[in-house]
Formats: sequence, C-alpha cells, structure tokens
Amino acid sequence: MIVCVAVVGNQVRSDRPRPLRGGAQNNPVYLQSFTEADDALKLHHIVHCSLDVIDERVNNPKRSGPTLNETFLGLLYPTENYKVYGYLTNTKVKFIMVTTDLDVKDADVRNLKVILQNHYKYVSVLVQIPTYIMFFRRFHAAYVDAVSNPFHVPGKKITSKSFAERVSVIVKSFGSTAT
Amino acid sequence: MGREVSESCVEGLMMEVVSAYSSRLYPAKPDLAARRIEAIGFQVGHQLSERYTMERPRFSDHLEAIKFICKDFWSELFKKQIDNLKTNHRGTFVLQDNRFRWLTRISIDPSTESTDESTPDNNAAQATNMHLYFPCGIIRGALTNLGIPCAVSPDISNLPACSFVVRIKA
Repeated sequence: MIVCVAVVGNQVRSDRPRPLRGGAQNNPVYLQSFTEADDALKLHHIVHCSLDVIDERVNNPKRSGPTLNETFLGLLYPTENYKVYGYLTNTKVKFIMVTTDLDVKDADVRNLKVILQNHYKYVSVLVQIPTYIMFFRRFHAAYVDAVSNPFHVPGKKITSKSFAERVSVIVKSFGSTAT
Repeated sequence: MGREVSESCVEGLMMEVVSAYSSRLYPAKPDLAARRIEAIGFQVGHQLSERYTMERPRFSDHLEAIKFICKDFWSELFKKQIDNLKTNHRGTFVLQDNRFRWLTRISIDPSTESTDESTPDNNAAQATNMHLYFPCGIIRGALTNLGIPCAVSPDISNLPACSFVVRIKA
C-alpha cells in the first residue's frame, strides 16, 4: 500500500548559496500522504533522506553499472516499516514513493516479465511491465500535464486540484492491482 | 490529451504577439519588447522539454542534449529536424535551419519604411529578428530545464535559412 508520494524539483534558487557539488537544489513541489495516521512528519523525513540516496546513485557511476541513465531508480532504501522507490526524470525532477509492501522482490520490480500463453492454434506473448514502473509512468504523465499549466510558476508547489485528484486515482488503482 | 489547433492559428498568434509587443506595448523600446517575448518563449520551452523528454533515458552530456533539441524536439515543434549543427567544442553551438517554418510567410517591403532615418535594410532585419526571439526563448528554456544554462541569439545573415547561436554558460 502506498503511504506517500512526493515530487522534488530541480530549481536553483538565487537567494540560497550555490550547492557545493554543483548539483541542483531540491525544492519540494508536491508531497501527499495517503494514510490516516499522524506520522506525516516521519514521512517527510523519510522523503528528505531518500534525496541523498538519489544524489549518491546519480553521481557515482561506478556503483550504478548498466542502469546509470534509466529513469526508474528502483529501491532506494528500506526502513523498518517502509520501502522507498525513486524515479528521476531527464529534467532532474525526482519522484519518490513510500510504500508498505514489504514482500515485493527487487527483481520483480525492475524486470519485464514475458508470459507465453499456449492457445489452440497459436501462441501469444504477453509482456508485463512491473506495476511500480507503470505507476511512475502515470505519475510522470500527470506531473507533465500539471506543469504545462501556464499559470504554474516553475519551482513553486503544485496547487492544482485536478493533479491531486489524478494522483489519488493512480494511487488507488495501484493498490487494487498490485498483490 | 488535450485538443489541437491548426498551424495557421499558431502563426497568426506569433505575428500578433510580435506586433503587439513592438508597436503597442513597448513602442520605442525594441530591446524590452524582445526580452519580454523571449521570456514567454523561455517558459514555453521549459514546459515543452518536460513533455518531450518523458520516456527517454537521461542525457549523459551537453552534446546529447543539443542533439535531442536538434532532432526530436525540433521535429515535434516544426515537423522537421535542424539541418546543420556546428560546434567549436568550447561551449558554442550553431543550429541552422534552412527553411524555418515561422519565417516562410514573412515578406519585407522596403518602400514603406521611408520616414525612418535608418536604412530599410536595417528595419527589415530588425523586424525579422523580432520574430526569432520567441524560438530563441524556446531553445533557452528547454536547455535550461535540462540543466544547461545558456544564451541563445538569432542570426539571419542568409534568409530563408536562419541560425540560432547557443552559448553555454560555464
């Protein structure tokens, strides 16, 4: 079950000092929690810590190996109750998803599954994209539509209600299809 | 998602933007009008680059990002690619389009500019330049969103081919 999603932007603010590593600053653009419990602050903290993991993955080409330039970063780090997944777009905007599904294997999350089905006269091939990647793709599409709003100022928080509704629809449908 | 409009509407809008900013809003200050038009283009390029880089893996260096602008981005906007890309390998790129779509409808009539002291050639050049500030802003906005701060200027030394000179800020 997804408990929190967040979008962190790439804006460089002129009033803050330049970051030492020359990377983009991380300004929160959207943060939404989907649990009724009162630990919203803890979720904020988890999202904040996972930003460091993203920076480390991106700036460390030796350790990432063949997945250096992919958008889906996979499992960032597991805490005792949650798993945190990240997705980095081409424009350095980071999507972060915190979930409580503790029994999903990393191989399932990352790899496509090819299922061969034998019908009577032909064989059909079904390629299944893992649900997490589908979730992030839909989330990315909703984000692009929200940012294309001419009244949206890049770098400020997204205040569009339709974006919030779309995100909650995506989160709900993810919860119902995933095992 | 979203609806589509015909291309002539976009060209009509561009003409009206340039004419409104140069003659009605900032009549004696062409530099200010140019900066405002370029700023509009900047925001448009910023948003378009988000949309057109959606399914792609990340770019590894500046040259890949410029090549993306020349090929995929330009064909989404103008249904053709940039015809010629030159670089001095020190942060300057020249993108040349041999038949820029938004300039194909412009014809300059030098006989009407008789009251100005500047030569008709100069006025024609300035009028054409005004139309190019918006695409310069689009390029600048797209590159800035990809993490490459730069300055883009138009170059119309040989019409109908026009060039955009991109200088990457260090």
